Amino acid sequence: MDYKYIEQLLERYWLCETSLEEEQILRAFFAQSEIPANLMQYQSLFSYQMEQPKQEFLDEDFDQRVLEAIHVPVVKAQPLTLVSRFSGLMRAAAAVAVICLLSGAAQQLFSTSGNVASYKSAVGSADPQIAASQSATSNKQISRVAIADSVRASTTE
Amino acid sequence: MSIEMQEKAFRNVILPLKDKLFRVALRITLDRAEAEDVVQDTMIRLWNMRDEWSEIESIEALCTTICKNLAIDRSQKKEAQNVELTPERVENFETSSPHDRMVTHENFEIVQQLIRELPEKQRLVLQLRDIEGESYKEIANELGQTEEQVKINLFRARQRIKQRFADIENYGL
Repeated sequence: MDYKYIEQLLERYWLCETSLEEEQILRAFFAQSEIPANLMQYQSLFSYQMEQPKQEFLDEDFDQRVLEAIHVPVVKAQPLTLVSRFSGLMRAAAAVAVICLLSGAAQQLFSTSGNVASYKSAVGSADPQIAASQSATSNKQISRVAIADSVRASTTE
Repeated sequence: MSIEMQEKAFRNVILPLKDKLFRVALRITLDRAEAEDVVQDTMIRLWNMRDEWSEIESIEALCTTICKNLAIDRSQKKEAQNVELTPERVENFETSSPHDRMVTHENFEIVQQLIRELPEKQRLVLQLRDIEGESYKEIANELGQTEEQVKINLFRARQRIKQRFADIENYGL
């Protein structure tokens, strides 16, 4: 086989006189398995030119990262659930609830301590014995009325 | 343009440039993670410019320019730490047998090394022409050079590689 054409192309390649198409022909030639010995040394150069794009590239994960970085919604985005949609609102509501609870509790605390004081002033100063005797006399009065009633009932019979 | 249309345009026009941009950035930073960050930053910049898209002549050229500049910024910051030679990147070559794989791996490693030895301008022009298959005009646009300068850089790069191949062939260097 005559390799004159290829040798010529190669010479013109080194001088930068080849067109893109001719350079493609060189790459295709050196991709073959049968290459004459005198040209063999350049095989790695031209097959490297063909192979490098297949070796060095960026995968699909890169696309995802870029799309996320520019805030374009990614196709496999999770659908919004009812809970997640209102989670902001829920959080605000929870905050309000906590404040209400705390203020309620505080109010309760302060007003109960006031009650205790007034309770003490009202009850603490009163003599328990007076209270006891008062209840005893009222008990006697009740029993007296009851006896009178029963007497009146028996006399009318 | 509505935001939905801009998003569609971004997905269909800008995002597909990621692999080329990644390889351009990789030629400059020589580090995969750095190159990936550079591409991501480039994409975000392009998105932030979305209201000016209609005035841009070539989105691809602009992307490449931004990517190149961001990568150079980063690699200049890294230069002090001297992380130039990190060969762990060339790992996943897949060919038929372990022997083939070893040979291919070795040969690609050599080419990779030869390209790495080139000055940055030559390296970039070589990448865009020989691997991305772009015209001189496109490259000139993307790198902010004249077509003449692109040709000169490419010529030097190819001559240098030819010379290194001759050295390897003759003296096993």
